Amino acid sequence: MVKARQLVVYLGPAVVFALAFIVFPLIFVIVLSFTQWAGIGPAKYIGIQNYTYLFKDPAFRSAIYNTLLWVAAGIFVQTPLCLLTALIISRRPFMWKFFRTALFIPSVVSTTILALMWYFMLDPTVGLVNGTLNSVGLKSLTRTWLSDPSTAQWAIMVPFVIYIGFGMVLFLTQISTIPRELLEAAHLDGANVWQQDFFITIPAIRRAIALWILFLVGYVLKMFEYPFVMTDGGPVNVTMNLPLYVYNQMVTANAYGLAMAAGVVTVVLGALLMLVVLLGLRWMESR
Amino acid sequence: MTAMETPAAMRVIAKTVKWLFLIVLTVLTLVPLLWLLLSSFKTTPELFRGPFSLPAHWSFANFSGALDAQPLVDYFRNSVVIAVTSTAMTIVMSTMAAYALRHRFRLRGAVNGFLMSGLFVPFTAFMTPIFYLVFHLGLYNTVWGIALVYTGTTLPVGFLIIKGYLETIPEDLLEAARIDGASFHSVFFRIVCPLVVPGLATAAIFLSISAWNELLFANLLSTSTSSETLQVGIRNFLTSYAANYPEAFAGTVMAMAPTILAYALLSNRVVESMAATGLK
Repeated sequence: MVKARQLVVYLGPAVVFALAFIVFPLIFVIVLSFTQWAGIGPAKYIGIQNYTYLFKDPAFRSAIYNTLLWVAAGIFVQTPLCLLTALIISRRPFMWKFFRTALFIPSVVSTTILALMWYFMLDPTVGLVNGTLNSVGLKSLTRTWLSDPSTAQWAIMVPFVIYIGFGMVLFLTQISTIPRELLEAAHLDGANVWQQDFFITIPAIRRAIALWILFLVGYVLKMFEYPFVMTDGGPVNVTMNLPLYVYNQMVTANAYGLAMAAGVVTVVLGALLMLVVLLGLRWMESR
Repeated sequence: MTAMETPAAMRVIAKTVKWLFLIVLTVLTLVPLLWLLLSSFKTTPELFRGPFSLPAHWSFANFSGALDAQPLVDYFRNSVVIAVTSTAMTIVMSTMAAYALRHRFRLRGAVNGFLMSGLFVPFTAFMTPIFYLVFHLGLYNTVWGIALVYTGTTLPVGFLIIKGYLETIPEDLLEAARIDGASFHSVFFRIVCPLVVPGLATAAIFLSISAWNELLFANLLSTSTSSETLQVGIRNFLTSYAANYPEAFAGTVMAMAPTILAYALLSNRVVESMAATGLK
């Protein structure tokens, strides 16, 4: 009944784009990751040398470590904050609409601008953070947050961890689909608010939580703005991450083969992390 | 333990903790934004006087200074053109593909999986091949090159959202139209398109916000005012005007104003569009 020609017309554009932006780049990065290439001229085959170099490069190790650190912070700090806020707001406390609206604002502001804002916030002389510490008499706690190797990584993670609006809204949407009778029945059976949350609400939205974590992994693997704008990977690579490493190798160092190898590692790491989350979800669903 | 048996003291503590948590989180979210807004009206000496001091004169001097220092209007225009173009292309292609996939055919599952596979791809890993693709199409340093890339990178999520909406159209409706003699194309234009418009609007909000906010590819694919977006341009306040903080603050405030205003006007739609991104 459906003619092949019609399908080709309707599916064609999307399939062409997917070929151009997924299949072609994937083949390109895999092939060129085994070469030494300056971006122009012929590429020279060098086997796995790029990969052996990568794992010896302290900047790359720092990039891997930081990417995993962000994933962990996302899962163990940001996600619980999102969930807790959603649980509180779903009970519609006083001014709940205000809180929901206010907490969501950062989700509509670009990450670049948020990064720029936090760069200003953490400025040693005019920033709000040191300014506040000074005005409450805690001058000893003031730091050059972004250029001090012991604080830079934590400092650029702050906006990522505290902006919970997006996750909160996703969980709120899910919570609103739970039948009210279920919670009312639990209430009549004597379950208090905590028990209702832990035994009914959270299990009911566990799928959404797993999907949120999947989204978070993708977000962290694409995270470029915070390190690029706030620290440019420094001081001494402590805030380096995978996208910034690829970018620097390509744009600054013209080491395209190395950039490709780092890209391949990013794709593989992403696939592995997502696989772990999906397996975790399947394990939870099967119980 | 029922609510009534919970000791009153415990309940008071729980309530206090709950409110403290909400308030601290909200303060952490709002205060930096308000501080930035306040600081954008100050003069440089006022800025050094302390974070909470009020400016002596509320003037827009920093804002006009920022507009003179950087071609913000050009950046703004480029961002609008790119966001509108890429959103429109993604929506048209996703709707067409999702419609085709409502029909049964041999490779249906494979095509569906292929279009979705992009959801699991960190596109940042592909910056070099994508750069070369745009370069060889002759679109480097143009808004069209950036729009093309955003179309490619947002297609998977656009497809996911729109497919969700298309699946809510009952098969009976399409079948009835076919029995009445409507062709493949007319079912799409007369029945499917009108029905998914609300869904498309929601998808459009999400896609245009994503396109508006992107930095990496915009930065990689443009080096001139004719194609640089607001996200790329706003960084210039950091690199070239580091000395003039108040102007940089004013520039940042102007850059975040459009999306915050859009959110203020359409807050429910925006929230809904974010929530529609697949976690259904």
